[in-house]
This record gives sequence, C-alpha cells and structure tokens, in this order.
Amino acid sequence: MSAKNVTLKVENLNKNYGSVVALSNVSFEILKGEVVALVGDNGAGKSTLVKCVAGSVFPSSGSIYLDGEKVNFHTPGQARDAGIETVYQQLALVDTFNISENLFLGKEVKRTGLSRLFGILDRKEMRRQALQAIQEFNATFPDVNATVETMSGGQRQIVAMTRGAFWGKSLLLLDEPTAALGVQESKSVLEVIERFRSQNQMSLLIISHNLEHVWQVCDRILVLRGGNLVANLVKKDVTKSDVVSHITGAYSK
Amino acid sequence: MKNFRVTGIQARLLVLIALVVMFSLTTPYFFGVSNLTNIIVNASVVGVIACPMTLLLVARQIDISVGSAVALSAAVFVVMSEKQSLIIGLVSGLAAALFVSALNVAAIVYLRVESIIVTLAGLIAFRGLAKVVLDGRSVTINGWDYIGEHRINAFGLLKVPVPVVIFMVMLLIFYFIMRATKYGSNMYAIGANPESARLSGIKLEVQVAKAFALMGLAVFIATTMTVSMTGIASPTSGQNLEFLALTAVILGGVGLGGGRGNVLGTCLAVLILAVVDNALVLRGVQSFWQEVARGSLLMLAVIFDQLSRKRDKTVRMGI
Repeated sequence: MSAKNVTLKVENLNKNYGSVVALSNVSFEILKGEVVALVGDNGAGKSTLVKCVAGSVFPSSGSIYLDGEKVNFHTPGQARDAGIETVYQQLALVDTFNISENLFLGKEVKRTGLSRLFGILDRKEMRRQALQAIQEFNATFPDVNATVETMSGGQRQIVAMTRGAFWGKSLLLLDEPTAALGVQESKSVLEVIERFRSQNQMSLLIISHNLEHVWQVCDRILVLRGGNLVANLVKKDVTKSDVVSHITGAYSK
Repeated sequence: MKNFRVTGIQARLLVLIALVVMFSLTTPYFFGVSNLTNIIVNASVVGVIACPMTLLLVARQIDISVGSAVALSAAVFVVMSEKQSLIIGLVSGLAAALFVSALNVAAIVYLRVESIIVTLAGLIAFRGLAKVVLDGRSVTINGWDYIGEHRINAFGLLKVPVPVVIFMVMLLIFYFIMRATKYGSNMYAIGANPESARLSGIKLEVQVAKAFALMGLAVFIATTMTVSMTGIASPTSGQNLEFLALTAVILGGVGLGGGRGNVLGTCLAVLILAVVDNALVLRGVQSFWQEVARGSLLMLAVIFDQLSRKRDKTVRMGI
C-alpha cells in the first residue's frame, strides 16, 4: 500500500490522566474510503482516542498524521479545518433550526457584494446546497423544512451525519451513531453510512459498543481494551465471536 | 394552506386590536388621535430598550440594569451639558451608557457570572451612582427638546412624533439583524442549544458581548429620548424600564428559554402594555392598583409562555 492512500495514521499514541493510563502506545492506520469500527468495553479508551483525533484532547505523546502530514490539534476547530468532522453522540444540533440551518451552523453562507459587510445570510444558497447534500446521500425526510425538534432520533442522527459528510474532507468520526435508536431507526442510519461508503472518498471511523450494528457496514475492526489496541482485524477474515473474545479478553492465540 | 393555525404574531395583533376596540367602546377619551398618539409616544422609550432586550433573551441572557443605566446616563448627560455644553453632555452620557455595558460584559463574559446576578447588582448600584451625580435632586436641561416636541411629516399625511420614529427605526434595525444576518442566526442557536453552538465553532462570549454593546447604545438613545420628553434628569429617570421591557419581551413570545420569538412580537407586546396602562389611567384606577395590574401582566406573560412552550414544540424562529 502506498502512503498516499493512508488517510489517518496514528503512531504510538499515549494519553495519561495523572497516573491513569487512558491510551497506551496505540498505532493504526485508516485507508482512504475505508470504514473502520472502533469497539471496546466501557473505559477501554474509545472516547479518549477519538477525542485525540478530533482535537478536543491533546495526547501525552505520539503522533497523528492526516493525509501524510503530521498534525497537532489543540482545538476541535483545528481538526475541522484540517478536514476531520465529528458527529457527537449528543449530535450538536440546534432543535429550533431546520436542516439547512443546522448544516451551516457556525459556517453560514453570506451574500456577496455590499451585503457581505452586514453579514447577510444567503438562505437560498444554503438551502440549495443542503438539499443537494440530502439528495447525494439519498437520505429521506418527510419535510425538509421542518425543524429538527420535530424529527425522530434516527432522522436527527442522519441530519448530523449529513452535516459531517458535507464538511468533512478526509475523515468522519461517528460517536455511537446507533446507541440511542430503535431497530428500524438504526437500520436507516446504517443505510446512510453504507451510502457514505459507496459514494464518498471520505474515510469513516465509527465508535460503537454494538458490534451487531457496525458489523454490516465496516471493513475493519479495531478493538481497544484497557487503553491498548488489542486487535486490528479485517472483517472478512474473522467472525463476530472472534471480535467479542478480543473485547472481553477471552481470546488467546 | 394545509393546517391553518394562528401564529404568535397574529394572536398578539388580535389581542391588541381587541383591547383597542374594547377600550374605545368603554372608556371615554380613549379613542382619539391625541390619546392614541400619546400611547405610542409613551411606549417608544420602552420599545427602544425592548429591541436589544429581545436579542439578549433570545440568547438566554438578560439585562435588568437598563433602567438604572438610563438614570446614570441621563444624570451624566444633563449635569455635563449644564456645566459644559450640550455636545460634551451628549458624549459623556454616551460614555456612561457604554461604561455600564462594558462592566456588564466584563462580569458576564470574563468572570462568567450569570447575567441576571450581574445586572441585578447594576440595577442597584447604577441608580445609586445616578443619585450621586445628581446629588439626589432633579436637574433641568435647556435646549434639548427636539425629540420631545417635534413631529416628522410622513408621506405628507401623518405627523409622526420623533420618539415614535426612533422606535420604528430601532425596530427595523433589530428585525433585520435578527432575521437576516449570520449574527442574528447565531444568537438564536446560542439560545436554543448553547452546547451545540459552541461545538459548531460559534464564539458565545463574543456574540453575547456584542449584544450588551448594542444594549449600551440603546440605553443612550432611550436616555436622550426620556430627557428630551421630560426636560429633566432625576433620581427616578428610567425607573421600571427594565421591568416594562422584560414584560414586553416575554409577552411578545421570546420567553425565558431563549431561541425563539422576534422583535415584531415584542413591539406588539409593548403596544399592548401601553394600551392597558393608558386605559387604567383614563378610567381613574388608583395608581396602587395600576402597579398590581402591571405585575399581574408580567405573571400572565410568563404563564402564557410556559403553556405555549408545552403545547407547541414546533414554533420556529421568525414569524
């Protein structure tokens, strides 16, 4: 594999909180367009690892490379500017805003010319781009102008993911995308993730404790246990029970 | 139209019209050009303050120091213009108003104290400071009666008093800011979901500071109006202004939760309050009872806000 195809490279990443080791020498790569699942029990270090990549936690030591370049994110904003978008578990949506307002939250499109001086919004253009993005990922909403507070949990998740995919150039981090959803809702969220994979050049890292859900959409599975990366498995080479035994620590060679 | 439902603005307009019709039929002298003009003129000062108050409440902030800020700005303005000149008085009055908002911003944004606590302290302290500047007396001003006395010809038909013109201009500016600009949209986001706004890269502190700066300007404008209309600065200048503006904003549909409502609702609520106030005076209701009525209106506004919040989860920003 050539270095060009590596979107994210994490090398010997360590994170200590005082004497508590949250991550210990974690190294892995995510290839371009690849969908990687990050699984592990509670406290395994999943969130810490993701926060390091997303820029909200600074690692104690180790390096992160994005598209071959070394990066040092001190704020989530820096990570976003570099092309890493994060869909948080709480989604970070504004309930009283509609889809297009949420898609452009904090990155609103302003009209050109004199209007720009006053920061006048170009609602038409934002709406156009939002509709295009929705269409691109083939997401369906009963009413594209409705506020997100009127939507179901699954639809809200899809709005947040559409925003991530719209802005993310290199990597999209999904934090527990199906954790709070019912069976049918999870299914439609996973369908959208499938579409991201088939249409996008972007790589995905999905954090989940529900192996069942990530199994159908991922190419590779990273297993964290006690801050260590205990397994890096290609899905087609393993079975679900193999992965579970890695998560629980029952696996032995 | 699939589902016909009365929007918040329409409901408030209906209430206003109903009140005007009712008082016109039942209260002598109520329905007449001079009394109706009088109502709107009296509402103008509250309206000017209520516009930035709407912006603040939309972003879950509050400023209850505005009445005292007007008192301080008026005191400095009048005393300095009597001692020096009108220009120096105006500049000093503006400086006093901006000084107040700078202190509010410093405490709220940098020390991260809740705005209700900070401005409660200001409510007490700034009126005290105004009394210090005035030495506890009322001071009259000369040569500043333009706003209070003059009318502007509109379309060659109506002669509109200057305070009303100022109120309308403020209304248009704030409607524009909140409806059409990135800044306004971000303020709604901050009010609806502060954490989401922060995660999306909106700088909450900066945006809130701007709103308090706008309030400082509005305080100065309200000061020049009130001084011109009364001809004095007194220890009671601007009294109850915070309370009247807040009642209007809540009755106007912003509510204490933030993230919704707009200045049109606030404007209608300002007029509703002014109409009720005027009718009570005309009917000779004892002033103690007028206070009871005002307080009850605020309570009604809050109850109405709670009910509409529960019933209607689909209220969107804007109309």
